[in-house]
Amino acid sequence: MLKVKKDKINGLIGEFLKDYLVFAPVKDGSRSKFKKITDPAEISTGTVKSERSPKDVFFPQSEVLFEYDTNGVRISDNEEKPYLLWGVRNCDTKSIRMLDKVFGNAHQAPDKDMYKDPYWKKKYDTSVIFNFACTAPLSTCFCNWFGGGPFDETGSDVFVVETDGDLILKGVSEKGKALLEKLSVTIEAEKKDEELAETAKKKAEEMMSKPTDISNLFEKLSTVWNEPVWQKLAAKCVNCGACAFICPTCHCFDVSDEGKNGRGKRVRLWDSCMFPIFTMEASGHNPRGNSTQRVKQRVMHKFNYFMENYGSHLCTGCGRCIVVCPVNFDIREVIKGILDHKIKEKVQADV
Amino acid sequence: MLQELKDTVKKILEEKKADIVIGWKKGTLPGIATPLFMEYPEDVGELIFDHTCRNNLTSYLTKDKRKLSKDHAKVGVIVKGCDARSVVLYAVENQVKRENVFIIGVHCEGMYEKKKLRAAAEGKEIFSVKSSGNIVTIKGRDLEKSVPEKEVLSDSCIYCRYPDAREYDVFIGEPRKEVDVPEEFSSVNEFEKKTAEERWEYITEEYSKCIRCYACRNVCPSCYCNECFVDQNNPQWIGKTPETTDSIIFHLIRNIHIAGRCVDCGSCVTACPVEIDLRIMNKKVEKEIRERFGYTAGLDINEKPAMATFCEHEKQDFIMS
Amino acid sequence: MCNGYLPIQMKVEKILAENPDKTLKTFDLSFVNEKDRDEFSYMPGQFCEFSMLGKGESPFGIASSPTEKDILKFTVNRTGSVTKEIHYLQPGDIVGIRGPLGNWYPVEKFKGADVVIIGGGFAFTTLRSMLVYMLEHRSDYGMITVIYGARNPDLLIYKDELKEWDKRDDLFLHLTIDKSVEGWTKHCGFVPTITKEVAPDPNSWAVVCGPPIMIKFTLPVLKELGFADDKIYTSLERRMKCGIGKCGRCGIGSKYVCIDGPVFSFEELKNIPEAF
Repeated sequence: MLKVKKDKINGLIGEFLKDYLVFAPVKDGSRSKFKKITDPAEISTGTVKSERSPKDVFFPQSEVLFEYDTNGVRISDNEEKPYLLWGVRNCDTKSIRMLDKVFGNAHQAPDKDMYKDPYWKKKYDTSVIFNFACTAPLSTCFCNWFGGGPFDETGSDVFVVETDGDLILKGVSEKGKALLEKLSVTIEAEKKDEELAETAKKKAEEMMSKPTDISNLFEKLSTVWNEPVWQKLAAKCVNCGACAFICPTCHCFDVSDEGKNGRGKRVRLWDSCMFPIFTMEASGHNPRGNSTQRVKQRVMHKFNYFMENYGSHLCTGCGRCIVVCPVNFDIREVIKGILDHKIKEKVQADV
Repeated sequence: MLQELKDTVKKILEEKKADIVIGWKKGTLPGIATPLFMEYPEDVGELIFDHTCRNNLTSYLTKDKRKLSKDHAKVGVIVKGCDARSVVLYAVENQVKRENVFIIGVHCEGMYEKKKLRAAAEGKEIFSVKSSGNIVTIKGRDLEKSVPEKEVLSDSCIYCRYPDAREYDVFIGEPRKEVDVPEEFSSVNEFEKKTAEERWEYITEEYSKCIRCYACRNVCPSCYCNECFVDQNNPQWIGKTPETTDSIIFHLIRNIHIAGRCVDCGSCVTACPVEIDLRIMNKKVEKEIRERFGYTAGLDINEKPAMATFCEHEKQDFIMS
Repeated sequence: MCNGYLPIQMKVEKILAENPDKTLKTFDLSFVNEKDRDEFSYMPGQFCEFSMLGKGESPFGIASSPTEKDILKFTVNRTGSVTKEIHYLQPGDIVGIRGPLGNWYPVEKFKGADVVIIGGGFAFTTLRSMLVYMLEHRSDYGMITVIYGARNPDLLIYKDELKEWDKRDDLFLHLTIDKSVEGWTKHCGFVPTITKEVAPDPNSWAVVCGPPIMIKFTLPVLKELGFADDKIYTSLERRMKCGIGKCGRCGIGSKYVCIDGPVFSFEELKNIPEAF
């Protein structure tokens, strides 16, 4: 393991800025979100995840697919430096890896180029993620339900632990290891540093609440489609898009043409299955016409469909949706509600 | 008071005066209650009423294409003063029949504002919030702090003239008809002192934060259109991108659309995940309506809404200026 | 890098109003660029995103058959803002399309067997594609039966071709309308009823395409006749945006209509509660 002394961190970022576009959590009012930085002083990593997830870096809320005019379409092909993400927490690192399963490929046709999203791949394929350990997880953090934890390094390129302002770095992926070798400001970490990291890990893990066992969740969801539990769970949801827009894994989008008089741009925009118009057809027919159906879709997509298609839950337990929901629709309660639901034996109908 | 409320709701359900009663229960986060839908007398066990019961529950009467109102012949709802005004609004605007709602009024002492609690906790994570007297004690990670209640109550509550329901079927305690609030429009008055450029700058900065999640619209009792103008695409009124111009159009049209209809329940302010100051423009419009038409939304079930009537002697100077 | 979001340019060659109200029009499009033409290879049942720059996109099944060279045919019902714009097109106009997208009717699997095609209204588009394809490879297939219905004679599309097909002796064409009108000499009644009367052999492959209500009532008839679930195919429609499995809009259960479909067998659909 390597170490960067606190007075050398700005120098390290400075080195990165030469070869990379560096994205890091930056304070925006009372909240932090990932922004492209030009000066290390802008960074505000804190002890836990940013209020807004780094999903926005690779998959911004609105992204121009191409511009058009009467002569046809044009895509911008300006070359950018590779992306370096600094201060990402493990829930978000894993989210980005999940999104790559969708955008980088397709579950049905893994070899067809047509199904690889060029806008995502251009940014993602050359990116490096510096995953920071969470030294003070929040009470809404539930990454441990999904096998994660504040010091989980799965998916990282480089894993970072902050101890007394110094950084301890560990190369996790080949890409991360190669990058660390090139750095000039690092020194070898001492045994004492590793012990400090170990203590911080223990402390952070103790802060986490006990996880709920969700090993049955996928199977359970496959059996409850027609159960009344959905009405009960969905009753308070007001069908806004706050949870989906703040979620690091939600990735549904709309495509809209913005412009007039024959010129403009086609953009993709975040969308949410919570909105009635998401599935509304031109004829006026809506296959998911009521709130319960839409809540069910969101839960099923996260904890059943995605598992079937890509082998994991589409949730990493970051807990942001719990914090922003205007009616305290707590996804943990929903999962528990599903798991606790007892399916009544089918009663033979009287003929 | 809580016991009396529980007993009342229980009785209402037992006597089938309502098929379902909406109230609040303890939420999973400190300082925030969550809606509770009670269908059976035993459901009242979880019912609470305190400073955390922010949501205007009457919005469920009209949400999801009025499904709740369609599924149940009579819906009971526990209301604060502002919430009761929403029911009056629905009745006046023919959205929900007054006789189909059983209004249970409770004595309101104001509600916590999420944003203010956060600010009081200096960004530290909050574990518990307790009120005693006029002092609120916030405990959290490396945090224990007491602040005057006023510092963490919602502006809508601090400047509320009608804290208790004026329209109700049953009231727990003795309702206050109106309380004196000399500075009701203090934020608007301050805002008006700014130059036009400063005001525009403020509005632009606030609305540029918008992520178009529509949480404000979806929790708003006055926003019940079956299809909101932002969702219409034939013709499309507004761009769908979160660019500032489009966000401003969304918010300003919403302001105008709820002119004379906003009950200042503060739901939108709390709902906003990016903490936009949504109240200032709503309050400004409310003030205009009050001054021009002498109308306040949701007070009188027999009074026609300001925007649905016309009198010759109404102030018309806006046409000239 | 291949970019699945970019439309290719097509030129409107011919426009045919399919009904007197002109709410249904068929557009023949030719490729503007030779390269696009050479690379565009499709099968009956696949669809394209029809792109009207400035208005957006809508998915339509390809109504032409791959055996009809150089031309793509789409039949468009005017309902929303994009279809309205498409209806304004004039011959010579340039439009964009993305595709071919999705899977196709398993015409290879159908080889050597009888096939029954059941269609309703303007959903006959990809069925036409398949029918023309099979007629072009006539000797590969056994008996071909077509049951096609609409509310009234005006709403049957491809009227000229229906006349031609009716004359053929290697194809059984059963046309039907909901209620009898003067001059109509074919069947009267709903598609499920006529299907029952025609009683196709359950060893054939069945392809059913039409309004959900028609499918809902035709399915039990086929089951009663002895058709197995995996012998019946249909093509689903959902609101779509990207068409390449990303935007999440056309999900039915864990499947996406755009890449897992639009063609599904009932064997696949019976476990997806959202399908109908």
